[in-house]
Amino acid sequence: MKMENMSLSGLDNTKLEALAQDIYSDLVEDACLGLCFEVHRAVKQGYFFLDDTDQESMKDFEIVDQPGVDIFGQVYNQWKNKECVCPNCNRSIAASRFAPHLEKCLGMGRNSSRIANRRIASSNNTNNKSESDQEDNDDVNDNDWSYGSEKKVLIRQMDNVLFSLPGELSSSVNTDPYKYNYNTGINYETLGPDELRSLLTTQCGVISEHTKKMCTRSQRCPQHTDQQRRAVRVFLLGLSATSLPDSNTAVESDGYDASDGQVLMSRLQWDGSSDISPSDSASSKASTNNSDSKKPKKKKKTSLNSTGGGGGGSGSVGGSSSQGCLAGQANRKKPKLPVPPAPSIYDNLN
Amino acid sequence: MNKDSQMRAAINQKLIEMGERERLKELLRAKLVECGWKDQMKAQCKDVIREKGLEHVTVEDLVVEITPKGRALVPDSVKKELLQRIRASLAQHSTL
Repeated sequence: MKMENMSLSGLDNTKLEALAQDIYSDLVEDACLGLCFEVHRAVKQGYFFLDDTDQESMKDFEIVDQPGVDIFGQVYNQWKNKECVCPNCNRSIAASRFAPHLEKCLGMGRNSSRIANRRIASSNNTNNKSESDQEDNDDVNDNDWSYGSEKKVLIRQMDNVLFSLPGELSSSVNTDPYKYNYNTGINYETLGPDELRSLLTTQCGVISEHTKKMCTRSQRCPQHTDQQRRAVRVFLLGLSATSLPDSNTAVESDGYDASDGQVLMSRLQWDGSSDISPSDSASSKASTNNSDSKKPKKKKKTSLNSTGGGGGGSGSVGGSSSQGCLAGQANRKKPKLPVPPAPSIYDNLN
Repeated sequence: MNKDSQMRAAINQKLIEMGERERLKELLRAKLVECGWKDQMKAQCKDVIREKGLEHVTVEDLVVEITPKGRALVPDSVKKELLQRIRASLAQHSTL
């Protein structure tokens, strides 16, 4: 071994290089031989030509190298210049603009400003109970059908149905359930006094100019002011000044002063109308406010003077449930006073 | 001459013993596949086979046809790298 080592170190560079070359060529030859064996075995076993495609297919799927065409031979912007006819508005729209146009045209997409379309639609159908409530439909438009908005719609529908339960409106319930699916607004003309009262105790009730329907949002709905609400109540229930629970203290004081005298009057007149009130309260099942508020009023009519004057009494009536006060006065008013002609006062209020 | 061939045989044997020859061989094969030499040679083989006929081709036919072409078709970069590796391993062994 040592001899070989010495001989290696003793070699000059040319010989070393030659040696390296020899080793290299041996290695290449080995590689070639290995390849030959591999190919020969593949041929004899019959799998050598398996990964080739036939000539015909090669010609069919040859790579295309023409301008204006991709490598499969398809034209790139073939459908860009085509025009489609919109089924809604019957206009000819470019293909690439067709989808956004449909979204706006049908009013069903996210950016479609459905309110505008619905206003147009509702202005055509003022007599039918089409949708006037804007809040829920906005939400439905924006959300991708979240469960929350669905719940809201359901709750609104329940409220509407409940309010229309009383006997006089049984017919209207039968005729309008499908419309209630749209969460329709309330048309005050078709509602009786009891329903109006019960509606106004829980809902905003402001009559929309566009649709002549009452707003079904809560008493604190931001779209309408308290003045509007009061005006609507005055218009619908007669000329009794009412106080709302969320009004200012100044307003409340006015309400108290106004209702003070009227509560006294109502107390006097309740004895005569006491027969009417239980039946009314029984008929309006959902508005438990009325029944609850009427009873304490009856009990307290003797104690009204004893408890700190009319302010305290009306406070219990007006503060805790102004709806009850409202309802009580409405209850009193309706049988006594003739209903004012609707359109004229409405015009004055507007 | 005898000494040279003897020496060569001895060195080769040593390379084999060290396992260096095997490593060099694997390295060469991998490089040839990488650079596409193998696919080229296979295409050449196809020509030879079509020439000789599928049934009657022998290993000898292939070897005779393919080896000179194969030697010529090895890319220069592969050749240089392999020579470098060989020299390095020879130098390594000379110090042992």
